[in-house]
Amino acid sequence: MADFLQWFTHMENSKVFALVLFFVVFCAILIYLYSSKNRSERLESYKNIPFEDEDHDEYTGSDDKVSKHE
Amino acid sequence: MAHAAASKEQYNYEIIRKFAIMSLVWGILGMSVGVYIALELAYPALNFDIPEITFGRLRPVHTTLVIFGFGGSALFATSYYVVQRTCQTRLFSDGLATFTFWGWQTIIAAGALSYMLGYSQGREYAEFEWPIDILIAVVWIAYLALYVQAIRQRSQPHIYVANWFYLGFILVTAILHIFNNLAMPVGLFTLKSYSAFSGVQDAMTQWWYGHNAVGFFLTAAFLGMMYYFVPKQAGRPVYSYRLSIIHFWALVFLYMWAGAHHLHWTALPDWTSTLAATFSIMLLLPSWGGMINGIMTLSGAWDKLRSDPIMLFMIAALSFYGMSTFEGPLMSLKSVNALSHYTDWTIGHVHSGALGWVALISFGSMYHLIPRLYGTKIYSLKLIYIHFWLATIGIVLYITSMWIAGIGQGLFLRAFDDFGNLKYSFIETVVFLHQPYVWRAIGGMFFVAGVIIMAYNIFRTISQAKREAAELEARIAAKMANA
Amino acid sequence: MKFKHESIEINAGLLIALTLVVVSIGGLVEIVPLFFINETVEQVKTADGRDAVHPYTPLESRGRDIYVREGCFLCHSQMIRPFRDEHLRYGHYSLAAESQYDHPFQWGSKRTGPDLARVGKKYSNEWHTQHLIKPKSVMPDSIMPNYPWLMENTLDYSDIRARMQAQKAVGVPYSETDEEYEANVKRFGPEVAKNLDILYAEKNLLKQAETGNYDGDKTRLTEMDALVAYLQVLGTMVDFKSYQDGHFSEFR
Repeated sequence: MADFLQWFTHMENSKVFALVLFFVVFCAILIYLYSSKNRSERLESYKNIPFEDEDHDEYTGSDDKVSKHE
Repeated sequence: MAHAAASKEQYNYEIIRKFAIMSLVWGILGMSVGVYIALELAYPALNFDIPEITFGRLRPVHTTLVIFGFGGSALFATSYYVVQRTCQTRLFSDGLATFTFWGWQTIIAAGALSYMLGYSQGREYAEFEWPIDILIAVVWIAYLALYVQAIRQRSQPHIYVANWFYLGFILVTAILHIFNNLAMPVGLFTLKSYSAFSGVQDAMTQWWYGHNAVGFFLTAAFLGMMYYFVPKQAGRPVYSYRLSIIHFWALVFLYMWAGAHHLHWTALPDWTSTLAATFSIMLLLPSWGGMINGIMTLSGAWDKLRSDPIMLFMIAALSFYGMSTFEGPLMSLKSVNALSHYTDWTIGHVHSGALGWVALISFGSMYHLIPRLYGTKIYSLKLIYIHFWLATIGIVLYITSMWIAGIGQGLFLRAFDDFGNLKYSFIETVVFLHQPYVWRAIGGMFFVAGVIIMAYNIFRTISQAKREAAELEARIAAKMANA
Repeated sequence: MKFKHESIEINAGLLIALTLVVVSIGGLVEIVPLFFINETVEQVKTADGRDAVHPYTPLESRGRDIYVREGCFLCHSQMIRPFRDEHLRYGHYSLAAESQYDHPFQWGSKRTGPDLARVGKKYSNEWHTQHLIKPKSVMPDSIMPNYPWLMENTLDYSDIRARMQAQKAVGVPYSETDEEYEANVKRFGPEVAKNLDILYAEKNLLKQAETGNYDGDKTRLTEMDALVAYLQVLGTMVDFKSYQDGHFSEFR
């Protein structure tokens, strides 16, 4: 066990290890996000959340208060 | 009116109004102090031999008022707004929300006064002495509780991306603040304390804090602002939600590694600063991913830039974000840092981020937010245009003069004559700095003038809202009487 | 169970936990080793085997408090980098050991004025006093503010023990017991150890101010005395002439 941990304390090992690890994780995230069309559509649908409260928005003209002022 | 009343009940807007207004108040104060200390550097007579207003004591007043007063209040305001609207729920406790307001204002005011009186921890951006630090921790925990509770009781299954950024900012700021401010007070009834760490460890902890305060307080949180207000103002959803997922995780992961680039070539072990430089370069990718995500939100609606000055603020903010996140990794290269470190280039870099990104995105969001909080329209679009141009000219003057000052001084200090002796004495470089310092102060004045115009615009907007409400009430009363 | 990013996005607790994990990695990898790797702060010994770098005397420590109070570090660094121009201008590059008792560190991040890491003994006490009262009187182009009040304010040393005890609590080897004193004698030599004794703090402070006469006014003990005493000790503890060239580079 100790020998195994010792391996990481050498810069030449840990640098490559970290690089490979982070790169693989990054690729996995990319593949996860972009590989499936269904998943993509589902994820993209969440970007409309800020617009779901539109009926409370006084500025865009739906509110009677602004129109009365004009 | 019935509608507005209903929305008032649905969300706690009162707390947002308070924070939004205080953000402007601290902004004007803090930036004016900034202009003043810039002038002190150009004309040292302005120190007037008064201890409380010498450069060394006022400089933390400037940074604290703008970062925590202006920036912090803007973040409280926008985050309370965004979390309530995207979760469609009200903050669970009005009392706790009010506590965060008064607590935060007390912290800023007490901090500024204590520096002027000579109480400072002597660590940049963490100058608050221990009793104020404890108050910050308490307020912050209340903030976290309010925020998490709002997310937990959302009527919407999904947590919108802006909230991840805000949540990340609240969490990380708590950790940074607590660990970095571990200190031993001299006594229970004195403000003075000594840092728990010393030398190298203190330096590393402090810059881990300092860098990540930039990363999470001044970047992640304002990205949260961007992810809500840019789509709302543009009237179209963010360019790519999947990109925002990568953006978030990459940013929060990479930022934490980069702090040691503030300590290149110092007594910090070499491996730490090399590691930090490597991650700083990598940080360019998520930063630009986020910038592209924000700017491309406008794709297909670029004409808005012609008609909407608020959009102009937001897109300019994203452009400055892109610029300073390019400059940052560049300056984290050890060879560049050898020249840039200790010079005004660093100051210029900070301000291209702080004025260009943080302040502009806040102004844009405030112009969007404040009329909605009061249920009216903005008083004058023309004044927003004027503000925009004053701000832009100010920033350009500021950063170019600091490039000249920083790169110039760096080059002078490392110049040798034919015999291998130093070509310039230190004081010669100080003489050289005078002109850029004057221009920097002028740039700052432009910027402050813009904010004062904004404050006037907002003031008129609010009084207009009050008048409208009164008129409406009178009309309803009249109708009732007729009926 | 199939992984979905939504499970993070719909669960606040999971989002918080994962964010914490992700942000912790970088900080832990960079900061934790600094506290455990012995080479972080190199051992610098004098010829007779004692620690070259020692904690500040009571007077110097009070001077340092004033340095922090006035925000000197905002314009003056205390960290010389290993470059030729800095070597010629300021001296040998700074060692980690030299700031090991600095709570907080004052390395600084900006040089509007020159580095002060080795300013000690370079100028006379009179020069420093003159310069602090009115920098332009000795350096006509200086943009440093005047600090005349340092000469006017009497140095308050009533809480000097509490200040030393607070520093002791965070690891500075000031002594309160005989054992600690003896340990300091071994580590720093008897002359230095005396000054680190909290029980004699006031006496030592007055004595150093009296003999040093830093502000040129023997009748009064001013803040100027303390600040100049601090400035005069900066960078003087390690005698670089007694080491071979490149001796310290192996620690970088």
